[in-house]
Amino acid sequence: MRGVLAHFKELDSLVEAIEELKAKKTGDITVYTPTPRHEIEHAIHAPPSKVRLFTLIGGLAGVTFGYWIAIWISDYWPLVVGGKAIASWVPYTIFGFEVMVLVGALSTVVGLFITSRIPKLTMTVGYDPRFSGGDYGLWLECAPDNANEAAALLRGHGATEVRSER
Amino acid sequence: MATLSRPVPATEEKMRPNIASADVQLPAVRDYEQVDREIVGTLHPTVAWFIGLGVAILFLIIGASAWMYQIYNGLGVAGYNPPVMWGVYIITFVFWVGIGHAGTLISAILYLFRAGFRTTIYRCAEAMTVFAVMTAGLFPILHLGRPWKFFWLIPYPNWRYIWPQFKSPLVWDVFAILTYLTVSSTFLYIGLIPDIAVLRDREKTNPVRKRILSVLSLGWRNSDREWRHFARAYLFLAAFSTPLVLSVHSVVSFDFAMALTPGWHTTIFPPYFVAGAIFSGIGMVFTIIIPIRKWFNLKHYVTLNHLDAAAKLALFTSLVVGCAYMTEWFVAWFSGNEAEKAFFANRIWGQWWWASAILYTCNMVLPLSLFSQRLRRNTTWLFILSIFINIGMWFERFVIVVPSLSHEFEPWQWTTYHPTWVDYAILCGSFGWFSMWFLLFIKQLPVIAISEVKEIVMPRLRTAHAHGTTVSGEHQDYEADTPGEHD
Repeated sequence: MRGVLAHFKELDSLVEAIEELKAKKTGDITVYTPTPRHEIEHAIHAPPSKVRLFTLIGGLAGVTFGYWIAIWISDYWPLVVGGKAIASWVPYTIFGFEVMVLVGALSTVVGLFITSRIPKLTMTVGYDPRFSGGDYGLWLECAPDNANEAAALLRGHGATEVRSER
Repeated sequence: MATLSRPVPATEEKMRPNIASADVQLPAVRDYEQVDREIVGTLHPTVAWFIGLGVAILFLIIGASAWMYQIYNGLGVAGYNPPVMWGVYIITFVFWVGIGHAGTLISAILYLFRAGFRTTIYRCAEAMTVFAVMTAGLFPILHLGRPWKFFWLIPYPNWRYIWPQFKSPLVWDVFAILTYLTVSSTFLYIGLIPDIAVLRDREKTNPVRKRILSVLSLGWRNSDREWRHFARAYLFLAAFSTPLVLSVHSVVSFDFAMALTPGWHTTIFPPYFVAGAIFSGIGMVFTIIIPIRKWFNLKHYVTLNHLDAAAKLALFTSLVVGCAYMTEWFVAWFSGNEAEKAFFANRIWGQWWWASAILYTCNMVLPLSLFSQRLRRNTTWLFILSIFINIGMWFERFVIVVPSLSHEFEPWQWTTYHPTWVDYAILCGSFGWFSMWFLLFIKQLPVIAISEVKEIVMPRLRTAHAHGTTVSGEHQDYEADTPGEHD
């Protein structure tokens, strides 16, 4: 993986650089930011997150399992009291709900891990510890032929430091 | 995340940054580096912290010793006599579960409502939740004569002839509280990941700590991809946690409401318990956050505007709780049920009048002071009031548990209840256990969410924009505790 890594001190400089790189279709862009910003989100035009699918599937699986476990156990080891129904859906809704929340929340976390590609065992190319502090970073994955042009563009937009990495 | 800054309409100046509303802004915080420096700076242990930790461990030892004494001599030393077989332990269990509610309320519900004042207090509240639920979870075990058989409480089919009764509120409790503990811990940890990455990147001297932080941060790099999925996952976790908060204390209230005992068998219990739990939790948040902002010099992060907004929430929940108390009296009178009426008369004017008086004074009367804006912005009063709220909410559970059991239907059953030194020691130990975990937490991980605070700090810009960064209108301007403190 080859590319150019640029440091920015100012948010507006970064956003302008992203917009121009996007317009020129120079290469894949990864932006590092100490905190999420709407401006960056709008400039990148990323598709919606797929975490929602994990949440939906987990929640549905959870509610099904919650009802099923309560009904199955009651049916298998019946406690007959006063001729009342062995499996009663009203109190069992509590199990359905609680297990839905539990499995839905945990599958959301699994979805976050899969879509964000974490945990990562090593710091990949193009990261600098300053990006969790106050600086913004822009990693542009591009062919060596385009690297010089991209570096010039990034400097032109106010990048304080630009370097090629692989 | 990305909640507190408002998207600017496209018609406005192109590069005008999204800015937080004035009542959320932190004017004394100038840039991201200052946020890192000051919040990470709170992690260095001080002498006062060691003293606090020592006191917490001492309290814990007192509680643990009393528990050992109880195990050796039997549960009788804890002051339980028929028919009052629930006392300080169940009271304290419900008290800590209630405390645990405000964390998820402040974190999840206020997040969904986009309430900006949560930013600087929610981490504290979330940690409080996890440790409070951990503390509450001890009490069902402490209440056992043979605590080493605690796993008998877990509802699974077995060959001990203890078949799970899924229609019992005690089994509902197991599911609700374990789900709550798991989801709250997950919510706390997921929110911590970007902050742990900050600590990892700033750690230069201790390689072991850096390695531990690297593992805990899961290789988080602050990339746009990570933030995008993180924001969505955080939103869904908040959306799950919100009804969970409401369900858990409803389920705890069913422990009482499903019984036919006077004072318990009422449909008002679930909302009454939920409102009480949120009220007590906010009280505890004040008890914790006010000393922290003073000792860690974080007054310009947890501003008076934030405390003012949280105090309004405390006032609102106090009014809800007060309304629930009055509804209870009305229902007892209007029902025409003689046992219920006699019970309430005994609770308010009879043998338990003193406990009721403490409860109503602390939970209904004193919080009315929060109608005064001056008092809402007075941190000394807020701290004192929070102590009264904590006491009042413990007595609320006392008034629910003990008077009902000591004054049931048959007059020959009427009795009294006296907690013993073992009860008090274990109550004391629970505060030690909670405080110990909290004190350890605040010196290992940031007590204020670094990445979320950065959202409300103005980003550095190359082009100064004409609009400035303040938002005019009905919001309170920033006000330092001491005038000129952060000029």
